Amino acid sequence: MRTRRPIELLPLVAPVHILIIGVIVLPALHVAWLSLSQSSFGQAPSYVGLENYLRVLADPAFRRALWNTVAIVVVAVHAELLLGLMLALLFASGLPFRRLLLVCTLAPYAVSEVIAVVSWRYLFDPDAGPVTQLLAALGLPVLDWSFEPLHAMILVALLTIWLHLPFTFIILYAARLSIPVDLYEAARIDGARPLQAFRRVTLPLLGPAIVVALLFRYIFAFRIFSEVWLLTGGGPARTTEVVAVYLYREGFSFNAFGTAAATAWIMVLASLVLAAGYVALLRRQVNAHAH
Amino acid sequence: MTDRTHRALTRRRFIGSTLGSAAALAALPSWAQGRRLNVLSHAVHERVLGTGEGDLMAAWKAANGVELVFTTFDSNPLQDRLFREASLPATDFAVGYIIDNRPTSEIAKLFEPLGPLNAAAPIEDFADIAPGLIQGMTVDGNLIGIPVRHATQGLFYNEALLEEAGIAGPPATLEELVEQARKLTFTSAAGTPVTGMVLASDLAVFPVMFARAFGGDFITGDFRLVPDRAAMEKGLAVLRGMFEAGALPRSYATTRNDDMVTWMQQGRAAFTVLPFARNAQLNNPEQSAYPGRIKAIPFPGSASLPAGTPMASVVEAWAMVIPRNAADKELAWSFIREVASKRVTLGMAINGNGPVRVSSYADPALTERNPLAAVEASVLATARGAFPPFPEAARAQATMLEEVQLAVLGRKSVPDAVTAIIDRVGPMMP
Repeated sequence: MRTRRPIELLPLVAPVHILIIGVIVLPALHVAWLSLSQSSFGQAPSYVGLENYLRVLADPAFRRALWNTVAIVVVAVHAELLLGLMLALLFASGLPFRRLLLVCTLAPYAVSEVIAVVSWRYLFDPDAGPVTQLLAALGLPVLDWSFEPLHAMILVALLTIWLHLPFTFIILYAARLSIPVDLYEAARIDGARPLQAFRRVTLPLLGPAIVVALLFRYIFAFRIFSEVWLLTGGGPARTTEVVAVYLYREGFSFNAFGTAAATAWIMVLASLVLAAGYVALLRRQVNAHAH
Repeated sequence: MTDRTHRALTRRRFIGSTLGSAAALAALPSWAQGRRLNVLSHAVHERVLGTGEGDLMAAWKAANGVELVFTTFDSNPLQDRLFREASLPATDFAVGYIIDNRPTSEIAKLFEPLGPLNAAAPIEDFADIAPGLIQGMTVDGNLIGIPVRHATQGLFYNEALLEEAGIAGPPATLEELVEQARKLTFTSAAGTPVTGMVLASDLAVFPVMFARAFGGDFITGDFRLVPDRAAMEKGLAVLRGMFEAGALPRSYATTRNDDMVTWMQQGRAAFTVLPFARNAQLNNPEQSAYPGRIKAIPFPGSASLPAGTPMASVVEAWAMVIPRNAADKELAWSFIREVASKRVTLGMAINGNGPVRVSSYADPALTERNPLAAVEASVLATARGAFPPFPEAARAQATMLEEVQLAVLGRKSVPDAVTAIIDRVGPMMP
């Protein structure tokens, strides 16, 4: 059988390349070009160099939004990892009504973000929300999220964790199920206690799955929008705004396409910087398996 | 084996089927019957034109053989889509609805000047349309939109709650309003915790109304920013005092326009500021716990204003525009002429639209059905927009609201907030 040269195989993969170029590469380049120009409706774009980037970076509202985003991402993603890992181990250890509980655990992922936020907004309504009333009736502190920015951030983080926990959980659970039982038996015969088996067997073998889950969640979580937009709108006084909301305001409320495009690129770079450690870890793992 | 091969999806069949489907889809428009006019609007604009037997455009549609297709959005997304469509080389939308604080010189260039069209085929009794609204749609000397709706703000109050609190009648001054709102922050006989007043925090309308109650403003029609600093400070101080007293909800910072309607319907608030056109919704027996008991009056000015000084309420107007890149401008103008006619303007007013014709308010058909028609007409006479259009208007509004929120919530002193408004909005002014 004749081995085809790469150039001959190119037409076979061309549709995929055309799709990627058309849907991702060209729009990204267009946004990059927009970020270097000043434009709005009825106004022809004019080249302004890096002015939009400097303007965005100098804006206190952007810096606050960036800080809020990083805080929510770091807290939510790691809390999801911890909870997802605990749930995966719990399920793997054997639970009664496992299928039913699995459905319950995965259900939030099937809920539309908009519906989830509207439901949570109702449940935690500061005046008439059932959860607020229950907490108050029990003498517990309530989340004063419509007034206190910190409380609003906590509610946003809780909502994000609830919505996206199934993603982290399912990756870790699948990885945990793929660990051969023999290894645990060998560990037990060697006298390993459960905690030691977790540290020496489970954790190292779950490593690649953990990195993949973290990486995906870091990148997805950085785009957080609907939770904040629908819950607080970024208020009070823009104190709970995140970068995606800042971008939306620039692009769709203020019609400043240049600064909106610059914000988009800063967002991409910031999420990559934030996830850089995990990307390096993933590359090391990929290289290790390649040899 | 042979059958399976015949049924298998080969590359040739896949490509053939795809091309065939695409060709079929491309042929779809040819199936449509008659002409079609695509309109980009808010849902309320379509609703007030009526449906079925009450369709105000039925005769026009039949006479022209036209199918009207409305694509509706909420206000801000609607403006965004309209400007995007008008920025394209060509658009399928022949008519769009625009808010009066949007058409800057740049935006106006996206739309067809309507003066020549009106000269060739005039709108019925054009002089009857409120001149102030026409002025708002005239940019750089060009008429770019025909006013179709106004939303003039009034003060709504729950008569039943006022009676329960032993208050004889609605307030005549701002000071009385504040006093009554404080008194009405209580638990009603129905066991509902009542807040004196509910206001959304994401619209400039409300702080501007309170500033105007003292003779001040945010940005005047001739682009003076905070022309009377003391009046603005007094207005914000009143809002701050009400929040401190609990007469504004603790959730003020996250309260939206729809919340105001719901709170009034449920009896959770005694006062609010909404367009008069909301009267029917607030008193709808199917939605409201107080049908027929929610009334409206003009928003009162401060007692400190010199006697006879009119309170300038906030009015927001909508107009119909034709994108310059629209294909069938003749049909679009025909539609606009019909919607702007006396008959349709009156019909829309009866359906809850704020009529742009002065004559509509004098028509018994409206005054008999709408108890607020006379009040609305009197308020409209002195009302003006929250701020004039200019390129950075949206950013200026957001900046002002940010500072207002900080002041009302007590995170910044009122004088500092006003200073910040002047300092931050100043560079955005045209």
